[in-house]
Amino acid sequence: MKKEKYTTTNIEAEVHIVENEIVSFNKFDKTTTSFRVYDNGFVGVHYQLGKMSDKEGYALAEKNLELKRQYPFDLENGVRELDKTEKLLTDEQLMKKAKAELEYLLKTHPDFTYSGTFYVNSYFEQQKNSAGMDYQVRDGHNGVGITFKHKDSKDLDDGWFSLNFRNGFSSAKFRRMADNYLSNFTKMVELPDELIIMLPDWNLSGKLRDSLNAEKLALGTSLLSGKIGEKVFADSLTICHNVAKKNIWMNTFWDADGIVHKGDKLCYIKNGKILRGYADKRIAEKYGVECTGSAYHNYRDIPNNGWVNFKITAQKKTPKEILNGKLAVLPVQFSGGGFSDTGEYAMPVQMAYLTDGEKILGRVPPFTMRSNMFDMFGNDFIGVAKYMTLWNANMMLVKMEAGKL
Amino acid sequence: MKFKFPKDLYTDVRIEDQKNASYGMQDDEVLYNSEASEKGAMIRIFDGKMWYSAETNDIDKIQNKIDELAKLATPNPKILENPIVKNFSVNKAEILKFNGTNSFRNLTKDDREKLVNDYRKKCIDKSITDIKVTYANFFYKNVIKELYTSKGTEIIQDIQRGCVNMWFQISGKDNITYGGGEQLWGFDLKSLKGREQEIIEKRDRAVDFARNNVAVEPGEYVCVLSPSVTSVFTHESFGHKSEADFMLNDKTLRDEWTMGKLVANKKVSIVDEGDSMHHGYCPYDDEGNKKKEVYLIKDGILSGRLHDAKSAAILGEEPTGNARAQDYNCTPLVRMTNTYMLAGPDKPEDIIKGVKDGIYVFDWNYGTGNSTFTIQPQKCYRIRDGKLCEPLRVNVVTGNVFQTLFDIDAVGNDLQFFSGTCGKGGQSLPTATGGPTIRVKKLTIN
Repeated sequence: MKKEKYTTTNIEAEVHIVENEIVSFNKFDKTTTSFRVYDNGFVGVHYQLGKMSDKEGYALAEKNLELKRQYPFDLENGVRELDKTEKLLTDEQLMKKAKAELEYLLKTHPDFTYSGTFYVNSYFEQQKNSAGMDYQVRDGHNGVGITFKHKDSKDLDDGWFSLNFRNGFSSAKFRRMADNYLSNFTKMVELPDELIIMLPDWNLSGKLRDSLNAEKLALGTSLLSGKIGEKVFADSLTICHNVAKKNIWMNTFWDADGIVHKGDKLCYIKNGKILRGYADKRIAEKYGVECTGSAYHNYRDIPNNGWVNFKITAQKKTPKEILNGKLAVLPVQFSGGGFSDTGEYAMPVQMAYLTDGEKILGRVPPFTMRSNMFDMFGNDFIGVAKYMTLWNANMMLVKMEAGKL
Repeated sequence: MKFKFPKDLYTDVRIEDQKNASYGMQDDEVLYNSEASEKGAMIRIFDGKMWYSAETNDIDKIQNKIDELAKLATPNPKILENPIVKNFSVNKAEILKFNGTNSFRNLTKDDREKLVNDYRKKCIDKSITDIKVTYANFFYKNVIKELYTSKGTEIIQDIQRGCVNMWFQISGKDNITYGGGEQLWGFDLKSLKGREQEIIEKRDRAVDFARNNVAVEPGEYVCVLSPSVTSVFTHESFGHKSEADFMLNDKTLRDEWTMGKLVANKKVSIVDEGDSMHHGYCPYDDEGNKKKEVYLIKDGILSGRLHDAKSAAILGEEPTGNARAQDYNCTPLVRMTNTYMLAGPDKPEDIIKGVKDGIYVFDWNYGTGNSTFTIQPQKCYRIRDGKLCEPLRVNVVTGNVFQTLFDIDAVGNDLQFFSGTCGKGGQSLPTATGGPTIRVKKLTIN
């Protein structure tokens, strides 16, 4: 009988702001463990929140073998430790920072009401087994998320911005972001004739990601079924699982089946051509496709297919440089729509800004952004910009149609 | 007293003991098969200015956490006179409804497997070759909650919810794959058995939609909303705006939401209550206050709002028992329970008959609500000359909340309740939504 253990520890301190006041300070320290035993092609699992001895945890996992959960795969081995942590704030520093930044917001932009959280998060994840595997990752960041509401607005809130740092907390960068989001809120401008949407890359890639599920590709239920090896999207579109990048937060470098990618990277679309779908060991065996090491950790059960960190390869340019004099629209509040089964996309945009890619120039009227998956990543795809603290993301630029809200 | 509470501070301790399990299949393969239990507590201390809180999975350390938090807070001899603390009523109650054979805690893997396989036997029809994949699963959670406060509240209550879900992937026109199916919710195993017809009806409707749907021409249409869609409209567009915590320091919103103001057609009344056995059942909230029935709109007039102790104190109103937390890891927020639009006098078939050219919005994937509400439908149908016609593919339905509330010109007599999950402030909670068929003069369709 082989044994394996997943462990995650999250330590967090949070300062909560509600309607311009610091209302609470919260701390938590949580360890979650999945004790797993493997016997004759079956796995027994015990999920534990809080501490428990190995002896007790494995005994409960052994008892759980009675559920007859199948896992007919060999355990992997390998040893690696990755520590991405830099400088985390102490509780005292966090509280001081929250007070100072809230004071700045209230003084500099007094026409808004603010709610949100300043926090410090420290994270540790480990997978260790009796076959010789011991993978660990440590990460941590200081962050803030602020929602804002203008005093004259009849909405519950008008927008939000967020920022994270591994190394301390830069007030200058936070204030630059806040000034950008808040300074031109009341300035109403027209929606441009040519609609270029600017959003973090992960915001629009959900349907594409779902369509690359190897099981759906094999069953013929994906919009991309039958298109492996074909060039379907824009020349400039390359999408990879990439956990090597610095701005990937709180992520393991291995999948739940114990697979590590060469260079911590594996591509799915290259220059518009579809290379492969993603499959964990179970899906690869079931459909006879390439195993891409895409199992995510299910602490209560067998791993599930879908651990893919889907990063669109960014250009070396800023959004402003890519726009090259054109203007883009940055949706801030958008919800209620999405992709349909056919790949059509319609999303109501309740609040959006006009921007030159760097500076917010004013607020546009509400509208509905419309496209479809093939155009969005094909003819209408402009590119993804390099990471900028100002946006706290790699911004994707894409042409869309504007409809009535 | 179970704990030693610090002097001159308000303290509450919320303990939860939960058990959950799931069993799911994809066609003939077992996809999920798990059971887990969890116990933990949130401890909060209030000194009149700030809350200090901690969470733990070690129940034996609750007293230590209380003592640690007390050191961070500033003792306040007048804490009991604080308006928020005054609003924490003192209740002692034990409401344990799910014991013995009634409890999901006693189900075995065989029980779960049998229920799933019974539904698969009755709801999978291999002659429908358009169905490419079938998912069937059963999951549930039972929670026993305890609340102890330094004012003397001691409440023990339990809740459990189970769900049988069948979902079909259907190959439709132009080789596009459409999804469709049904989720059946219930408070015990008995209520989840024998409901195959509900799934079969949804399955067949989804197959028909996949085969025959046509794209809608974007524009403005007269819309008839099914009870399911009315219920999500009620929840998203109006329910959230009834949660008083968003307006505490905001004059614009307080002026906008003055009690007694006409905010909807007089045919519209909306209620929130937590006593009835629907998905948002909540006899006592997570601050220990008894949940009250609140008319949010009565005959078109703004009549009430939902409160926790703080919002009630600031707005000078009575707490309504709507402080709910997702679990012991979360602090309570003002949340809905069972929120529904009351039935009206009209027969649903007459409501449709009154439409010459419009759209029937049958069901939905999700919705949101701010000044503009949005609903992403799963299936819509064209209405021509008062009759339901071909299935329509609609991406999103939108409208201005207040205009829409006034534009409701027919309210059906077919009130139905639905089980859902509501998100707010990073917390997800079970809520019931409800409503009848309604007709709206104009909505925007994309």
